[in-house]
Amino acid sequence: MGAVIVITSGKGGVGKTTTTANLGVGLAMLGEKVVLIDADIGLRNLDVVMGLENRIVYDLVDVVEGNCRPKQALIRDKRYDTLFLLPAAQTRDKNAVTPEQMKKLCAELKEEYDFVLVDCPAGIEQGFRNAIAGADRALIVTTPEVSAVRDADRIIGLLEAADLGDPKLIINRLRPDMVKRGDMMDIEDILEILAIDLIGVIPDDEKIIISTNRGEPVVANDNGSLSGQAYRNIVRRVRGENVPFLQLYKNSSIFSRLKKIMGLSG
Amino acid sequence: MSKYTVEFKGTKEGVTIYCQENAGFEEVLLDLAARLKQRAVFFGQSKVRIDVGGRQLTEAEQERLADVLAKNSKLVLAGVQTSAERTAEFSPARRRGETDDLKLENCKEGRSIVIKRTLRSGQSIHYPGNVIVLGDVNPGAEIVAEGDIFVYGTLRGIAHAGRGGDRSASVVALRLAPTQLRIASVISRAPDESALPNQPEYAYISDDRIMIAAVSTKFAL
Repeated sequence: MGAVIVITSGKGGVGKTTTTANLGVGLAMLGEKVVLIDADIGLRNLDVVMGLENRIVYDLVDVVEGNCRPKQALIRDKRYDTLFLLPAAQTRDKNAVTPEQMKKLCAELKEEYDFVLVDCPAGIEQGFRNAIAGADRALIVTTPEVSAVRDADRIIGLLEAADLGDPKLIINRLRPDMVKRGDMMDIEDILEILAIDLIGVIPDDEKIIISTNRGEPVVANDNGSLSGQAYRNIVRRVRGENVPFLQLYKNSSIFSRLKKIMGLSG
Repeated sequence: MSKYTVEFKGTKEGVTIYCQENAGFEEVLLDLAARLKQRAVFFGQSKVRIDVGGRQLTEAEQERLADVLAKNSKLVLAGVQTSAERTAEFSPARRRGETDDLKLENCKEGRSIVIKRTLRSGQSIHYPGNVIVLGDVNPGAEIVAEGDIFVYGTLRGIAHAGRGGDRSASVVALRLAPTQLRIASVISRAPDESALPNQPEYAYISDDRIMIAAVSTKFAL
C-alpha cells in the first residue's frame, strides 16, 4: 500500500510543480513506483515541466468521468519506467472534479504504486479541496517571503482542520547572500511562525529555469547543482531517512543554529 | 408570624433550621423539640443544618441541640452554622477568595476560554468573555473578546478586546506585535518599522487612545 502525498502552498509560483516533478523523478531514480497527479485543472503545468505534454491523450477529468480507465490516462516518463503522470485537463476547470472522486482515485492508485504525488493548485478553493481529499500526508512549499509565509500559515490551519495535521515544510528559493545581508527572512524566522517540521531547503538556482524549459528536472542531473542535491536529499527524507542539511550558509554560526533547530547535533 | 423561635427552610443545600436571633437558648430547644415532633414524619431521614444566628454556642450547647434533634426526629445533623459563616459563604468577596488579609480591589470577574494552541492565519475566535491563548496568534488570525485578551506567546494577528464597549479591557501578550489592536471602539496599529518587543506588554485605553506599557511596571488599569 503506497502513500498519497499532496504538495501544496497556498501562494502561487513558489515551486509546487517543480517540487512535485523533482520528487517524482528522484523517487523513481531509487526504484520506487510513482504516479504524479496534476490537480491544477485548467492551468496544467506538470506535463510541461516533465517534458511529456506531447503525449497526453486522456486526462484526470476523463478518468473521473469514466471516459477511460486510469491506466489509459497514465503517461510513462521518458527516462524512468516506474514513473507515471496523470495530467490535468486544460479545457475544463476545477469544478469538473469532486473531492470524493479524487479520494476514490487516490485510493485506487495507491494499491499499485509506492507513492502518489498530487500537485495542488494555488488557492484554498475547490482545486485545493480536491487535491487534499485523497492525501495521507502533506508537503508545504514556501519561499522566504512574508506573503508566501502568510499563505502557508493559512494552509496549515486548513490542513489541520482536514485532519492532515503533520505537514512538512520545504523552503524554496532561499538566497543565502540576501539572508546574510538581512534582506531576506531566514529559516528560523519562517519556522517561528509556521512551527512545523522542516523537510528541506532549496537554494535559488538558475538551473531550475533551464531544466523547466527543457523538461528535465534538476534532481536527475549530475552537474553539481545545489538545488538538485537539495531535492535528492528531500527525496531520501520523504522515504524516512535522516539526511543532514546542506551547508548553504558560509557563516558557520548560522549553520550551527540550523543544525540545532533540526535536532541534528554536530 | 410564626410563634415558634425556630423555622424550617428548604434551601439548595437541603433543609436548614433557623433559630430566631433574640430568643433564649432554652426556648429554642423547647420549640425545636415541639416542631420536630410535628414535622419529623415530613422530613424523614434528611440531612439538616441548624443555623444558630449570631450565637456562639459552647460544645455542651451544641451537644444538647444534637440531642434534641436525635430524640425527636430521624433527621441527620450535618452541621451547625452561625450567621457570620452564612454571610461569608454567600458573599461575592468570600467567593472570590478574599479573606481578612487580602482585599481585592479593581478586579473583574467574567467567563473565560483557554485555548491551548497556536491560532493560524484565517482562524478567528469570537467570545463573550475573556480569551486566553497558550500559543501564538499568527498574522491573519483574529481574536474578538468582550473581555480581556491574554496571549502567552507572540501576538501578531488582530486582537479586539472589550468588544461591546468595555473600555477597561486590556490586551496582554508575552510579545505584543499585533497588526492591529482594538479596545472597545478605539483602533490602533503598531508604528511601521517597529521591532519585536523583548518583554511582556499590555495595552489599555487612556485618554481615548491605546497605550502600551511593559508588564513589569504598575498596571495602570
